[in-house]
Amino acid sequence: MLTFETPNLPATLWDSAIARVSAKVPGIKIKKLVTPNVDRTTYAKQLASSGQLPDIMMAVNPQGFAEGGQLAEFTPDELKDYAYPTSGAINGKVYQLPTNAQPQSLLYYNKDDFAKAKISKVPATWAEFLDACAKLKAAGITPIAVGGGGQDTFASVYSWVGVLGTDVFMRDPGFDKEIRSGAKNFTDPAFVKATEKIAQLAKLGYLDKEGTSRSYADHEKAFRAGSAAMYPMGSWFATSADNDKPPFEVGVFAWPSDDGKAVVPNLTGGGISVSAKAENVGLAKKFALEWTKDKETSDAFTKADGTFNTVAGYKPPADMGPLFKETLAIYEKAVQDGTVTPAFSIEQGDNGLPAEFTTAINQIAVELLNGTSDAATVAKKLNDEYAALQ
Amino acid sequence: MTSRLAVARPVLAIALTALFFFPIYIVVTGMLKPADEIQSSPLGLPAPLTGENLGAVFGREDGLYWSSLLNSVQITVLSVLLLTLSSAMLAHYLVRSKARWTKPAMLMLLSGLMIPPAVILQPVTQVLDAVGLMNTLPGVVLSNVAYYLPFGVFVFAGFIGTVPVDIEEAASLDGASRLRMFWQVVFPTLRPAAASVMIFLGVWVWNDFLSPLVILGPESGTTVTVGVYRSVGEYSTNFGTLYAFSFLASLPVLLFFVALQKQFVAGLTAGSVK
Amino acid sequence: MPGSPRHHPLQGGRLRRAREFSGFALPGLFLYGVLVLVPIVWTIVLGFTDQTRFDPQTSWVGLKQFGRLFQDEQFWLVLRNTFVVTLIVVIVPNVLGLAIALLLNRESLLYRLLRSVFFTPVILSGIVVSVIWQSLLRPDGVLNAILVDLGVDSAPRWLSDPGLALYSISGILCWQMLGFCVVVYLAGLNSVPKELYEAALMDGAGRLRRFRSVTWPMIAASVTINTVMLLISGFKVYEHILVLTNGGPGRNATASIAFDVIEKGVRGDRIGFSAAEATIMLAIIVAITGVVLRLLQRREVHL
Repeated sequence: MLTFETPNLPATLWDSAIARVSAKVPGIKIKKLVTPNVDRTTYAKQLASSGQLPDIMMAVNPQGFAEGGQLAEFTPDELKDYAYPTSGAINGKVYQLPTNAQPQSLLYYNKDDFAKAKISKVPATWAEFLDACAKLKAAGITPIAVGGGGQDTFASVYSWVGVLGTDVFMRDPGFDKEIRSGAKNFTDPAFVKATEKIAQLAKLGYLDKEGTSRSYADHEKAFRAGSAAMYPMGSWFATSADNDKPPFEVGVFAWPSDDGKAVVPNLTGGGISVSAKAENVGLAKKFALEWTKDKETSDAFTKADGTFNTVAGYKPPADMGPLFKETLAIYEKAVQDGTVTPAFSIEQGDNGLPAEFTTAINQIAVELLNGTSDAATVAKKLNDEYAALQ
Repeated sequence: MTSRLAVARPVLAIALTALFFFPIYIVVTGMLKPADEIQSSPLGLPAPLTGENLGAVFGREDGLYWSSLLNSVQITVLSVLLLTLSSAMLAHYLVRSKARWTKPAMLMLLSGLMIPPAVILQPVTQVLDAVGLMNTLPGVVLSNVAYYLPFGVFVFAGFIGTVPVDIEEAASLDGASRLRMFWQVVFPTLRPAAASVMIFLGVWVWNDFLSPLVILGPESGTTVTVGVYRSVGEYSTNFGTLYAFSFLASLPVLLFFVALQKQFVAGLTAGSVK
Repeated sequence: MPGSPRHHPLQGGRLRRAREFSGFALPGLFLYGVLVLVPIVWTIVLGFTDQTRFDPQTSWVGLKQFGRLFQDEQFWLVLRNTFVVTLIVVIVPNVLGLAIALLLNRESLLYRLLRSVFFTPVILSGIVVSVIWQSLLRPDGVLNAILVDLGVDSAPRWLSDPGLALYSISGILCWQMLGFCVVVYLAGLNSVPKELYEAALMDGAGRLRRFRSVTWPMIAASVTINTVMLLISGFKVYEHILVLTNGGPGRNATASIAFDVIEKGVRGDRIGFSAAEATIMLAIIVAITGVVLRLLQRREVHL
């Protein structure tokens, strides 16, 4: 079984979950393999190229593997307990359990900083957001933290994911699909306009450019140390802050949109995939399904990584921290209002972009944050790179 | 004039060396400091000393340091032994043989000195996979032997060229088998070359990153170099522990260097002054 | 050389020769063939196909991958990065290394100690060196803390400024390779016969003159070794980039050709495309090393 370790998900968490779930699946023997960094999809590819694909893999983007016949498909019957059983499907078939929903980009903020800058109410519209940033900057506070340094280029993308959620995916949830079919490309006006918003933030000096050389953990540490007032990040930061409180109060709000709708870019997936060449596919699948059903394991991951389990009937533990509850409330409201959108570059399967495109997107995002490329250049680069992939 | 220089030289030399040494100073003192002091006084000497960073690496629950150390030692020792033997014999054969094909063969080998690993890595994994050696220790060792063979041959060949053939002739006239003659008579005369081959390849193999990362794979664990890479993600804000892991990963090579300093330099010199 | 043993009439014979070959040369040549030569040919062949990781259908596409490569802006960027790094890495440690070798060219415990210090980074792995420097060059790292103390207003963004990151990485490589050059030059300097200096002194040659007409020609072999060694290490730089910037900041801002080949072929899906790039990489390094070696060695002979 292939796992990955992060500051939120240490070895002990995996070990105890594996021991617990294995006990429920007689006859299975699990050997834990740890990826050398968070990028487990790339690592799984490297293993696949030498025929060493692990039997069970945690949260690996199934794209490519699935089309190449390397993964076992989950049947509708096996998926009947999941709230979004077709999430992340590839050619209509599901190869990764849609175990949990995880908002990918929200704005966590330092309440002390907001108070200092005399911002009385969290911004709901883009105009209010710019106004808040201006006030923060005037008060000598860097408005927005950004990341993406070292090996962790992925952490550069969250602001972009936010504005693309409000401006592109809200109106057109199938945008990625249209890119793939060739119906649209990245010079699409809505895409460029949304991208321009980030370029504008960079130009106005609202982004902490230094962050683009911070590793992911360093990025979080810097925000905790007060480097900037807002921290665009997924819901996993909520539990991280609940488990280890920063020296200031943290609040959260959804990305502000032009019309004030609270939009939440989200990924439902994150579960286990099973290799089609596993020694005993049935047993491996059983393990995968048990993993999600095991209340204790789900609780442990919910607490550690801020995920919302989507298996029918699951309730997060009552003692979850305040920031998690606040985040969950925003997500649940967005579900009601129909303002949950796919997350750009993170969404998988038929509704997402090719997995191999992710690195290019993340690197180009850094140019946007650094202010070295404007929206038009970025759009053109994305088009060129996308064409090069074909 | 000369006296002014006599004072200036050591002062300048020490100043430059201190500047150069600065990063290593930060690492060595940093790993002996508690976390908050690395941030608050990075330059200061560690006082009081703490062993908690080193302890954290030694005492990791998954035993990453110890298991990767064992892998590194096995891979390095086996690779270097096999390399020394095979390259000494091959070099001897190529230098001494008068067959016409040995010249181009030598040239082909020496051009291998400049092949970047990135160029051949993908097919190497395919070859190893085909013979079932992918994700195994012997797979890494064999790919090391093949990749570094040109360096060994280069050093040995240069050296063999300077050893007179008389003793070999005398021995072979006695009817000793050529293999025995090689080990009993020739190889002892190649010791200086063998020392530099072993030292250099030992360091290179120990420090290798890409081939253990890709070839060894997760099941057989990692080498220390890959271990450091892995711990970057985990410890990336805990520099004391990261420094400690880096230091411990390099420690065997550093000790080796301190013990064999003369040979290190001699090995380099042998190649460069001819 | 007077007849090597195998040419002694008593020792001839096909069988014996075959046995010697299989005992001495075969194991090494076989491994080298299977794990170096075959992979090289394989890579070149793959460059003419459209192989991808998961698509079992592979077909010949002739020069198409090369054509796409030459039209790909990113390829030229990556190539440019590689040349910048290689050029810096060939020049800086070479020049500094010689200067420091001249400075340390004294026999005493002090100088021996200082030499060892310079040599230490040479025996560290690229990963360890990168980890060290990453911690120093962080926005809130030691180096910027010192610069701020010295009164620098806005400390450089070493690894996040796209105009600077490539030079930061080159600088780190120089730091690592410097000791190698120092030691090789010291060995070269030691091999210069003292009489030559004495003769030059008698002729009334000044310091500079003595360096130009005695030292410089006599260390020609050291220059060759260092230059070729630096050339090869600069050209294949990979792990420093991986750890320090992962190819960023910005699209391929610091990616080298080795980095790009691994990224596309070993860690990505486009095996054919990456093989074409690897083939070009191979051609470039062979050509450059060949030319440089020839030039430098001709100089050695001439002098």
